[in-house]
Amino acid sequence: MEKTHGLQFEEPSFGKRIKGMLSVDFYRLFHTPLFYIFLVIAAVIPAMILGMTSMENAEGVVEPLYTNTWQVIAAQEPLYAIKNIADYANMNMVFIFGGIMVSIFIGHDYKSGYVKQLFTTHAKKEDYMLSKTAIGAFSMACMCVTYLIGTVVAGLFVQASFAVSVVGIFSAILGKMLMSLGWASLYVFLNIIFRKYFGVSILSSFFFGTGILIVGIATAAGNTPMLNVFLYGSSVYACLSANFLSVLVCLAVSVAWAAIYNVLGTVVLSKCDVY
Amino acid sequence: MNAVEIRNLTKNFREKQALGGLNMTVPVGAIYGFIGENGSGKSTTEKIICGLIHASGGEVKLFGRDLTDGDVRAKIGVLIEAPGCFKNCSVWNNLMIQARNLSLQNAEERVREVLQLVRMEGAAGNKYKNCSLGMKQRIGIAMALLGEPELLVLDEPINGLDADGMRIMREVLTDVAQKGCTVIVSSHILGELEKVATHYGIVRGGKMIKEMTAEELEASCRTYVALQTGDMKAAKALLTAKYARVEEDERGYLRVYDDEKAENIVAYLYRYGVVVHEISTAKIGLEEYYIDLMQGGK
Repeated sequence: MEKTHGLQFEEPSFGKRIKGMLSVDFYRLFHTPLFYIFLVIAAVIPAMILGMTSMENAEGVVEPLYTNTWQVIAAQEPLYAIKNIADYANMNMVFIFGGIMVSIFIGHDYKSGYVKQLFTTHAKKEDYMLSKTAIGAFSMACMCVTYLIGTVVAGLFVQASFAVSVVGIFSAILGKMLMSLGWASLYVFLNIIFRKYFGVSILSSFFFGTGILIVGIATAAGNTPMLNVFLYGSSVYACLSANFLSVLVCLAVSVAWAAIYNVLGTVVLSKCDVY
Repeated sequence: MNAVEIRNLTKNFREKQALGGLNMTVPVGAIYGFIGENGSGKSTTEKIICGLIHASGGEVKLFGRDLTDGDVRAKIGVLIEAPGCFKNCSVWNNLMIQARNLSLQNAEERVREVLQLVRMEGAAGNKYKNCSLGMKQRIGIAMALLGEPELLVLDEPINGLDADGMRIMREVLTDVAQKGCTVIVSSHILGELEKVATHYGIVRGGKMIKEMTAEELEASCRTYVALQTGDMKAAKALLTAKYARVEEDERGYLRVYDDEKAENIVAYLYRYGVVVHEISTAKIGLEEYYIDLMQGGK
């Protein structure tokens, strides 16, 4: 603490700052109806996929598209290019909802003028990036949980098979939940870039969330383990044949991208005018 | 020591130059009336002081320190345009959110104090979206005061306020200034500003054209004699022939700005058969001084 002509100046510590910012963001998240709407959507979607999708076989008989409950959680093996729509419609959809959620959350910060109020205090740009990433990751992880609950309930209801490798399904779910961190940081970064254009923010979140880029690359270049270093590559790697190593890959990729996007986002926020 | 010291501040928005080498000095404890036309650079300067936008060049020191220092930032309270509140949250919750962002230990107590200060204790439970414009401005002031700032930056805080709202705002500003807080307040309502400001800065085209204390303003404001006669046309012709500056004001009175005694003017007009019905001596206020200055100081 320094005293200058009777005035006392004290910079709050990082812990104090981030605690305050996180408490505000979590308060806002739990008071945002959209968060609960997405939790419900995340639970309803797998139930709809499991209970309502069917396909005509070679003999012209209509059969359920999914015979095993866990197919709705993850593909049987890492699939970068879409070979079968049934392999694509899985827990990765949560990352698309999460993107929209983050866009709306950050868009509201700017629309309400809250950022103006925030950045005229001692709040630092890196605190903002960290706090929003934490909120995005938390909400996506929660959606993963409701998605799982919806899947299990629907599986029981339609009497689909539950046969699976325990290590595989556990690794797949954990891997995807860990990926929430990387995805959240990507979305926060995109929303910082397009902060003045809410529509573009939402579209970019959707574009990246669907993994269109990686799918396109994989279609041209073929499946290669190198794609695992990308968020989408790593999230498809969290499949039913995953193991402990897959979880580690997901964790490493997620943390690495979170670090990169947080640094980039902080640089953008620091260089640009806030409001 | 000065609370704010700005040297040669520039800001360009692409090709448009908003500030072209602005200098500004705000002493500690002052209520600094920041005056200028729309687009003159007041808000841009205030936003730079608050850290919302970056300067293109120049130097800004707050209490002798760089404005990016986190410890200095923690001591600034701001109301730029409208307060950044969540419309569906209550007044209380909006203030609590800001209190948490400021990492205040005694958040609830402090929120109660600032609500009391802006005379809004009874409206704490109201949703922000249901508050009137005047209430919203007071919430903004309350938010700015939460962190017990050493420097308060207010951009047009009295716009849209009714007479009572303006009185409350005046009292709040005087209260905080008495506690040693420095206040920068921009406004177009110069009559109100004049009642509280201790220092003035007049900005034009992105440059500071005049800085002065309230005493200096007082000394620079000329006295004039305002009068009404039975024959205003003849009076005007006679006065214009003798005095350098004679004008008709919005009430239809004639004003003589030369340092002349009222009785001499009455005697002069009487000599030519013009009877004065009403006469008074007054000083021009901030508003007229400002208009004079903007018109090149007639």
